[in-house]
Amino acid sequence: MNQAIINRELASFLRTRRAVWLQVALAILFATLVLLRWPTDARIDRFGERSREVYRTFGFGLLAVVILISPVFPATSLVRERIQGTLALLLASPMRAWAIYLGKMLGILGLILVLLMMSLPAAAACKAMGGISSGDLLALYGLLILVAAEFTALGMLVSSYAKSIDSAVRITYGLVFALALLTLGPHQFLQGGTGFMSDAAEYIRCASPIAACMELFGQQDVSGQGLISAADIAKRHVVFGVFATLFMAIWTISRLNHRLLDQAKSAGTITNELGLLSRVFRRLMFLVDPQRRKPGIPWFVNPVMVKEFRTRRFGRSHWLMRMVSICVIVSLMLACFTAVGSADWNVETIGGILVVLQMGLVILISPSLSAGLISTERESGGWDLLRMTPVSSLRILTGKLASVVWPLSLILLATIPGYFVMIYVKPGTQQSMIRVLICLALTLFFGMLLSTCIGSFFRKTATATVAAYSLLMTFIAVPMLIWVGRDAPFSHSTVESSLTLSPAAAALSAIRVRGFEDYELIPLNWWIVGGLSAVFFLGLLIQTWRLSKPD
Amino acid sequence: MSNQSPALAVDRLTKRYGDFTALDSLTITIECGRILGLIGPNGSGKTTAIKMLVGLARPTEGTAHIAGIDCSRDSRKIKRMVGYMPDKFGAYDNMRVTEYLDFFGAAFGIGRRKRIKRIDEVLETTNATYMRDRYVESLSHGMQQRIGIARTLLHDPDVLIFDEPANGLDPQARIEMRDLLLQLAASGKTLLVTSHILPELSRICDQVAILLNGKLRAFGSLPEIMKSISQKRTFEIQFSSKEAIPAAAKIGRDFASDEADAELSESPAEAIIRLRTAKSDSEMGELLRQLITADIAVNQFRELQADLEDAFLSITQLNENGVQVADTPSTEKPAEATR
Repeated sequence: MNQAIINRELASFLRTRRAVWLQVALAILFATLVLLRWPTDARIDRFGERSREVYRTFGFGLLAVVILISPVFPATSLVRERIQGTLALLLASPMRAWAIYLGKMLGILGLILVLLMMSLPAAAACKAMGGISSGDLLALYGLLILVAAEFTALGMLVSSYAKSIDSAVRITYGLVFALALLTLGPHQFLQGGTGFMSDAAEYIRCASPIAACMELFGQQDVSGQGLISAADIAKRHVVFGVFATLFMAIWTISRLNHRLLDQAKSAGTITNELGLLSRVFRRLMFLVDPQRRKPGIPWFVNPVMVKEFRTRRFGRSHWLMRMVSICVIVSLMLACFTAVGSADWNVETIGGILVVLQMGLVILISPSLSAGLISTERESGGWDLLRMTPVSSLRILTGKLASVVWPLSLILLATIPGYFVMIYVKPGTQQSMIRVLICLALTLFFGMLLSTCIGSFFRKTATATVAAYSLLMTFIAVPMLIWVGRDAPFSHSTVESSLTLSPAAAALSAIRVRGFEDYELIPLNWWIVGGLSAVFFLGLLIQTWRLSKPD
Repeated sequence: MSNQSPALAVDRLTKRYGDFTALDSLTITIECGRILGLIGPNGSGKTTAIKMLVGLARPTEGTAHIAGIDCSRDSRKIKRMVGYMPDKFGAYDNMRVTEYLDFFGAAFGIGRRKRIKRIDEVLETTNATYMRDRYVESLSHGMQQRIGIARTLLHDPDVLIFDEPANGLDPQARIEMRDLLLQLAASGKTLLVTSHILPELSRICDQVAILLNGKLRAFGSLPEIMKSISQKRTFEIQFSSKEAIPAAAKIGRDFASDEADAELSESPAEAIIRLRTAKSDSEMGELLRQLITADIAVNQFRELQADLEDAFLSITQLNENGVQVADTPSTEKPAEATR
């Protein structure tokens, strides 16, 4: 019965021109990855180490593709059907919820399999070099399919809750990156230790497909620092992956019923009309109540900026205040650890955690806030209305960018007390902390301008968000993946050159975090990131001006 | 608005996308305070024409002026003079109606105090005050249309352009929309309205322009257009019983036998015959006399009023049949050509 859904999910995408381009691009990418590491000198490798280096590069490329591409299909699937009204038709049919779910799941997995098949010629080339067994390749593809299944289940779960396509994409990508990258963080700082925290960190990283992949490639740990872990990460990840997928699948299936559609429209309750007690309670809970009646936009404020704040749930003041409060508390807690001063938790380690957390936040939030600034307007029809007002394209652009700069800056500023405490504890780090803050500020502008500029070229917010995340991750995460393979297969100079592109790496090297202390990335990184930001801003200006002109 | 210039003057307005001509030499003029209905099937060039009038598209050839101001050269001035409601509402998520209107009011540079007052006024005008705290995305289509009109009225423009305002509305909402448009015209505003719902337009429009495949097929008041399409009229005769139909039909056929393309149709269930003929009123009086003389009991004898739907269908059908009807040469004014 679900054959029809599988066909539709697969066929509707595969028959598009976009699908052809994607397949061609992936085939070229995988071939390039292999070619880049293909040995060209006359040395003979008896132990297959060089072919394993090629295989690792290729494998990480495959994993990056699965992480970047696979979440978008499930994230949009249910919410798009609900908005278009076809979910009601499906639910009204005799098909059972599990059949609908399975049909969609298999359709999406089929699609990802088709994309992965584009890598088979490159995989065959790796095997032809020797040193790689069929079992190695099978294990890699098996793991990738499991990761795709995990992300598909996650995306569909998010999609069943989301109200709009772009919010589904944003939340899914946020969770995928948190699962793949943030889970590695605790172990990075706690490895080699004993006790509950260290053990917990060891287990948490098993949720990351990156750690599992690294073990398949024989690299043991992310930034292992020579410490060999006895944990069987890949097996643990398989167990985690299977259970997580099943759990999310059952959760989503339980939601696939009439209740998904049986939701009342908002009655538009307004606090001003509630009783005194309710008003006081809401004031205490929210401080800035999102449901109170707003005064008009003052003349000195850019109306486009206010509109952007009001149209985003996260942009509402109470959310910002909550976010800033959390940042202040976390940074002070981390600084407090420094002040207490155990041997392992020095200023550099705590600073490193803080930088990683802030970078994570900026990377997660920047594209989610910026990528849809223009495309959402074009998709909803609001762009024509904006063009019909006397507001200039420059004012539209500055208003939109300001709506992203404000929350991100507040989040960054909120962590400054933590840095002050660390400077107080170790006065010699003042210079490093200032450099870190400059790196973070540059990352903020870079992430925002890149996402807005790339997003402005798309009509659909979902596509814009995916493209922005992919490019930003290419700039920030790919150099970090190369750093993971430092010394073997990549030389020190290669790693340093690639890290120069990553503002996150620059911040970590500025604070001398373990593994980054040997690289001198500043000020070259600032020039590159600043220059690229300027290019993206210019591109954005031209694109906004072009879109504002008559057709 | 200047009294010397017409509210809207379009001269040979043309838009081409590569080899495809979306609009071909549109020439129309509307005086202040009038309502022009722009009708045509999907893809006939209505929205393209509107987009050029409001400065969202640049014409390939020709000019469009609103109150003497060039729409493509002076688009900033035009934006302040025109209120435009596109066929797509343009809802923003998580925004209440007042916030939505507040934003557009601020975008048009209306001061805060005046804006707050103006929002109340336009909500009152569109009978939407009760929606002020609702989220725009949660409104029904009809409610959104009203808020769309309220938005176009915010900066008090002289010319209002509505693209499919009655689209998707239920009958009650359509009546309310019709009354609202008439009310706006009565307040001195010039309206340009496109619609697929022709009976609605025929009730409110002073003038009608019919577009087909990017070309203006007819332009003028409805009676003028009907006259230009065909000289024939339809008469409906109802009898007291259906038994009278055969005899009456025979008299009718004999009566119209001198007219080659006269059409007579019978509807025994309703006890009605309909005669489509070019005969004059006095000649038709003769038919009535013949029926009464033949002792046939006539309950009703009346002329059916042609409506916009008939006009539209006549024009589109005639065109498909290859007969040239009001296919105005681009160098002439279509209004004259169809009269």
